[in-house]
Amino acid sequence: MRAEQVMFWTAVALYGLSTVAYIFGVISRSEKLLGAGLVAAAAGFLPHVVSIGVRWVAQGVNPFITIAESLTLGVGVSMLLFLSVQLATKQVRLLGVLVAPVAFALMGWAGTLRQGPSSELVPALQSAWIWIHIVGASTGFGAVLIAAGLGLLFLLKERRQGGIYDRLPDARTLDELSYRFVVGGFTLYGVMIVSGAFWADQVKGIFWNWDPVEVWSLISWLIYGIYLHLRVTMGWRGQRLAIYSLVAVVAMIVSYWGIPFSIETFHSGFRIEH
Amino acid sequence: MSLPPERAGSPADGAASERRPASVARKLGAFLVSTKLALALLVAVLVCAVLGVTVVRGARAGELIFATLWFNALLVLLAISAGAAFFSRIWRRKLTLVSVGMILFHLSFAAMLGGIVYNQLFFFRGVLRLTEGETLPNEQPESYDYVERGRFFDFGRLKGTTTLVAMHANYKIDGSNKRAAYELEVGDGPSTTRKVIYVTEYLDFAGVRYFCLKEGYSVLLVLSGQDGREIYGAHVPLQSYKQKDDTFRYATGTAAEEVAFAFPPPPAPPRADVHLAFRPSTVKERDGEVSLRVAVPGPHGGPPVDHTGRVVVGAPFEAGDVVLTPREIRYWVGMDVKYDPGLTIILASLCFGLGGMVLTFAGRVRQGARKRRGEEPRATPTVAAIEREST
Repeated sequence: MRAEQVMFWTAVALYGLSTVAYIFGVISRSEKLLGAGLVAAAAGFLPHVVSIGVRWVAQGVNPFITIAESLTLGVGVSMLLFLSVQLATKQVRLLGVLVAPVAFALMGWAGTLRQGPSSELVPALQSAWIWIHIVGASTGFGAVLIAAGLGLLFLLKERRQGGIYDRLPDARTLDELSYRFVVGGFTLYGVMIVSGAFWADQVKGIFWNWDPVEVWSLISWLIYGIYLHLRVTMGWRGQRLAIYSLVAVVAMIVSYWGIPFSIETFHSGFRIEH
Repeated sequence: MSLPPERAGSPADGAASERRPASVARKLGAFLVSTKLALALLVAVLVCAVLGVTVVRGARAGELIFATLWFNALLVLLAISAGAAFFSRIWRRKLTLVSVGMILFHLSFAAMLGGIVYNQLFFFRGVLRLTEGETLPNEQPESYDYVERGRFFDFGRLKGTTTLVAMHANYKIDGSNKRAAYELEVGDGPSTTRKVIYVTEYLDFAGVRYFCLKEGYSVLLVLSGQDGREIYGAHVPLQSYKQKDDTFRYATGTAAEEVAFAFPPPPAPPRADVHLAFRPSTVKERDGEVSLRVAVPGPHGGPPVDHTGRVVVGAPFEAGDVVLTPREIRYWVGMDVKYDPGLTIILASLCFGLGGMVLTFAGRVRQGARKRRGEEPRATPTVAAIEREST
């Protein structure tokens, strides 16, 4: 497992480097530092993926179960989405100023929670639903993180002008893009909740049990549901929604990894009595 | 509000008094379909959910929030309000991919609500406990350790019998260890289903589903006289008690603590009080050592005399004038037996709701692509203009 550890901590270090480059890039309005931040993030993504692959091969079962594994996957998917956006357009290079620090912090946290490999999945997790559930959760998180990043860019564009800020898309585009990522994240989170409901029905014969992890997922989903209603029916735009998306992503991180896993080792509804 | 005396009883007054309730009804209708109410309810549900996982937790959260009538009424009101608010606005509007997606999404809520209500009226949940080889009739409430059912559920719906053929420990499928699997036979006359169920696989018989829940050891305890004549025999299910070192101890008792039991049990006259613990063999399945503490009445009705000891499975244990033999070890299992007639509607609604979300997302992406291609007019407003739009 040494190779996996080395790869993991290399990824953390490179994300840390990326964070520093992005933050100083924004402070000094330096294009070069922003470029360096992106290169460091891309360089960190490679050992990140390799560390997941090595762990997967070593333990023989999918490495997305424990909180550390879940964090590692969530950050990995977010970085993949972030790098894809960077490949698609150079206009939102500043996006890394939120994504890189979040990736660094979450990966660092995952590093403190890492456990040895497990050789076997508990029977309740041996279900095809796990793949839909995991993909929905991690991609949904990536989408709302990007949406929050775009919200931050909107706020920066609103307050600052010149240099790197002039290269950002116009305010409406940032606002629209953020909204679209929220719709995507909301949908993917819906995929996670619905697949979880089918999975719970397969295992326990009950599609919803009000267990803490379910409730926290519902909370995150409702937070984004409210975002969409504020925009579509109440006509909110711009600054207010940008701030909302930043607050919502914090709530998402807390609900996804913070509270439920500190109380419950796993969904209590999935525990099978001895 | 009092009227001026000169206008009291005039025809105009009659018209006004007719208009007043209509106006109240209209206001009430407008309030019920208002987005603000739907949003307020959404926030209320959110706050309750947060409270249910922070301030109060676990079973207490169920008692105080999630299982209460007021919280469920709040959910029902939210579904009705959201549906009414949405459909009053979308009505007669041009159908687009986005609006179709939204319609599907909001309709699915109404359908899900209907499914939940229907299910609540007709559902059944029972815990059926069987020892290997045992058969119980499904339609008798006494067959179940625990029963929960809807107001209109009829036990006649549970036809036939259920037999536990065997419990397979460390059951493997394609190399994956399912740990415990129950081989069941559920039948009603010529119609019989036999299946091995495990945690991710259930058995469905005529809409009634059987799920793995819990399992344990059961000791066939035989009581004999000193002359070897068998007096009584019964399977004694054992509870599992988690120890400090994370191992399990299997013994007689309740879920909370180990206790002795009268043997034979009532209504037969008891001959002894028996406490029994089983330590499974690490080498051979269904084998091991049984510890016994047997209290038999003293001679001439004197105080009970305790006999304690340990025997291997199959060996006799002498306790005064009786002999107890733990003849064999079987497994007992507890299954969740469920009948949920509304489940199909609920799960289908979830899928339709998800489909609606996907359609809306696709519609938004298509709108964006159109804008980029210049098919839809767009201005490039300033930040201030966007802020103005929102007010």
